[in-house]
Amino acid sequence: MGPDSAPGPAVPWQKVLWERQPFPDNYVDQRFLEELRRNEGVRQYRYWSVVKEAGFVGQQLSCVALFITLWLYMEQGLLSPEMLLLTSLVCALLGYGLHQVLTSQIEPGCEPRTRLADLQSAAIFLSFTFGFSPVLKTLTESVSTDTVYAMSAVMLLAHLVSFPYAQPSPPGSLSLNAALFASVCLASRLPGALHTFAMLSCALLVFALWPCLLQRLRENAPNQFTGVCVGMCIGGVGGLGTQSLGGAMLLAIALGSVTLLCPLLLVRLQRHKDNIHGPWDEAEIHEDLSRFLH
Amino acid sequence: MGQRRRVANPPSQGVAGARTDCVRVSDRKHNICMVSDFFYPNMGGVESHIYQLSQCLIQKGHKVVIATHAYDRRKGVRYLTNGLKVYYLPLQVMYNQSTATTCFHSLPLLRCVFVRERITVVHAHSSFSAMAHDALFHAKTMGLNTVFTDHSLFGFADVSSVLTNKLLTVSLCDTNHIVCVSYTSKENTVLRATLNPEIVSVIPNAVDPTDFTPDPSQRQEDRITIVVISRLVYRKGIDLLGGIIPELCLKHPDLHFLIGGEGPKRIVLEEVREKYQLHDRVQLLGALEHKDVRGVLVQGHIFLNTSLTEAFCMAIVEGASCGLQVVSTRVGGIPEVLPEDLITLCEPTVRSLCAGLETVIAQQRSGSLPSPASIHARVKNLYTWKNVAERTEKVYDRVAGEEVLPLDRRLWRLRAHCGPVSGSIFAFVAVLDFLFLLLLQWLVPDRLMDDAVDATGPHRLWRQETIVKQTKSRSHSKGATSS
Amino acid sequence: MMEDEAFTDINGKTISLDCQSHSSFCREFTVSSPKTSMAKVMVYTCCVWLLSYTVFFFTQNTAVLSAAIVITLVSMMLHIHFVKVDHESLLVIGSLGIQLSSNYASGRETTTFIEMNKIKDIVINEAIYMHQIIYFLCVLLKDPSEPDAVSSVVPLFQSSKPRLNCLVKIYKSCQEILSKC
Repeated sequence: MGPDSAPGPAVPWQKVLWERQPFPDNYVDQRFLEELRRNEGVRQYRYWSVVKEAGFVGQQLSCVALFITLWLYMEQGLLSPEMLLLTSLVCALLGYGLHQVLTSQIEPGCEPRTRLADLQSAAIFLSFTFGFSPVLKTLTESVSTDTVYAMSAVMLLAHLVSFPYAQPSPPGSLSLNAALFASVCLASRLPGALHTFAMLSCALLVFALWPCLLQRLRENAPNQFTGVCVGMCIGGVGGLGTQSLGGAMLLAIALGSVTLLCPLLLVRLQRHKDNIHGPWDEAEIHEDLSRFLH
Repeated sequence: MGQRRRVANPPSQGVAGARTDCVRVSDRKHNICMVSDFFYPNMGGVESHIYQLSQCLIQKGHKVVIATHAYDRRKGVRYLTNGLKVYYLPLQVMYNQSTATTCFHSLPLLRCVFVRERITVVHAHSSFSAMAHDALFHAKTMGLNTVFTDHSLFGFADVSSVLTNKLLTVSLCDTNHIVCVSYTSKENTVLRATLNPEIVSVIPNAVDPTDFTPDPSQRQEDRITIVVISRLVYRKGIDLLGGIIPELCLKHPDLHFLIGGEGPKRIVLEEVREKYQLHDRVQLLGALEHKDVRGVLVQGHIFLNTSLTEAFCMAIVEGASCGLQVVSTRVGGIPEVLPEDLITLCEPTVRSLCAGLETVIAQQRSGSLPSPASIHARVKNLYTWKNVAERTEKVYDRVAGEEVLPLDRRLWRLRAHCGPVSGSIFAFVAVLDFLFLLLLQWLVPDRLMDDAVDATGPHRLWRQETIVKQTKSRSHSKGATSS
Repeated sequence: MMEDEAFTDINGKTISLDCQSHSSFCREFTVSSPKTSMAKVMVYTCCVWLLSYTVFFFTQNTAVLSAAIVITLVSMMLHIHFVKVDHESLLVIGSLGIQLSSNYASGRETTTFIEMNKIKDIVINEAIYMHQIIYFLCVLLKDPSEPDAVSSVVPLFQSSKPRLNCLVKIYKSCQEILSKC
């Protein structure tokens, strides 16, 4: 019955079912679990490379902080909408130029979008935003200010959580929509229609176009990319510091824990990883099978 | 503990004494209750396993009843062939034909079944079935011996498997014996539930060889037909099949595919058929009834299985039994199932499967493959239900001699085996279950429950003239409904 | 011929079965439930009155007390008239049919008669009742146009719910008569 009553191993045990073997059904051979593999294909992380990757998360956090800083300036009337529009335009042109340079470097064979098409979509977008800004301005008038702030906070958080950090361009539709929803909410609390327009254009710049540029940078110039991230973090903390010292402190702490503490935890906890694989695992299909369909 | 019931061995008869006992009376008969959420009218591997095993055990003279949940209007007590009694208990179905579990609500009805049928061994099936786990839990509370059969493989990588594996650990840590359908499945279950491998037996599934006989006259000789019979779902590798079909059809103009089964991935095959204009060469037959499967199998030359995970693949045995050459992916327990000359194993990629199929097609053309009759002759005795029943009977004999842990040691074992947090939680649940059982025993004492009339087992009345009339009308009466 | 035997119902209460054999083709089975005990009535009444007195104590409204008295009396009457069955009987007359009657504690009697040509058989069946699985006796009815199919099922002794040994006794006796016609 039990394994104790098993006959002497005259014939070696085989891991097969089709043969009636002279072993009891609950026989445990020495080869039991020999196909077990532990921690297969586990990536060994190095601290500084993880910090570099985490810097991108910090950068996005700073982007949000920077946007809020700009909004605070606008709301208090310290920054005129014309000034913001002008700065945005200059930044957009500079960024566009940089983007063109980086794109032409990477894919010469691919059909690039023409400048005309870019200009066209920019014009359409700006004219629509400009036309609708009075509407957007009064959109949330019947909603209490507290609600609007709470909603913006939640939406910005949603933007940060759902942002596709692995492939930042183009920003995922959920994260982009959440960010734009938050900026519409915030912009509608500004004094005038032009303010709203300026704020929304700025939001587009920060949440839609900037991540595209960053990704190009990350692909083509990783060293500069790290520099830009550090610059953004410092800029975010500094900008917020001019408005609220407490906020700046909080942001600095958040950035520190995201970029320094969390990678440390990840690297430390990595050695406790015990991942087991074996023949029972569901096979994965690695090939691209869509080529048979399309 | 007063929980051990009258039919079970007295607790004083410990493990050591019991082992000699079970060797001495190897022909002792058991009262077995199979519990699973999955039973007819639902169709699948687990369902037919329970049915076939029960039938063979009945023929060997054991008493078998089945407890499952109610399917639509099918609730109450039913009798199947040879007096196999099925309790369709009115429990709420939650997801995928599995009942919801609260650990308690099924106790009154399951206790009633166990007491009135004088059950000695509770045999639960399938780790996906909440009712099976509930039954194991209650049976242990009531002091009955328990056996569990695991029919499926699980990974360890994602969050859901971490949770289900923990639940399995809790459920199996004081179960007397576990049955797996292949050695790979045994390794998997031992790891998932952190078990002692010696209480896990490997008993493969079986097929009825008389249902699957070859008939080469059904084959069309001007073409080579590849048969695929599986549910059309991701886990069965239907995406791979969608890659294989155009690849091979372009190379071999006389190649035909016959695909039986239904599922969400049917659209993939339909798209492939549409794009490559293969309507006359790829036939999608839709869902097949079990009796029609043989009729489809005998039309083919090659049986293809593209599963990504499989504990024991019944389909390839059925295919081989019908005399087809089998090509399959090398996953799970499949390499253990058929001898190497009857199966061509490939990696789960389109390229490897195509290469394997091409080899077999070339052999088919040159006529170097063994004849269907010779394949059938080799396969027909490999997996029989009689053999499965004999081996399961040994498990019951062994289990019947074992002691069911009394409550205090059960709690200790849960704490020691399942970690401090979940162990404590489930120890608490076990105490609650025990208190609930005491309450039920006070409300409806065992002596007030009428012992059921046996239709199977040593005291069966099924064949006796006076009862036949009574039980027959019972089985088809619609009065067996719950209120 | 007449015998009176004591059995229990599924809750363990004593019931008595009275088999009366009027002739070889006609038998009557009567299952009598125990009488409602005085103590139980007292306990229920006391509960209702204590409750109403508590409400009265806080509201100081005498209507509560009178309502309680009325409710107790009315519910008692309803109970003995519609719920509490004193005895149920089954009269089997070979070649004629089956008469089922239940007598309530108030003396009210309901009677049903089933013709023999509608009766397919009398069987003992199993069913899930609340959280128990019980045996019960039932009459299988058929449509005279379709003699092989069961058209519906009439359960017997629904309120007394005797246990299997009692049911088997009635069943065997009934089959004796049914087999003769």
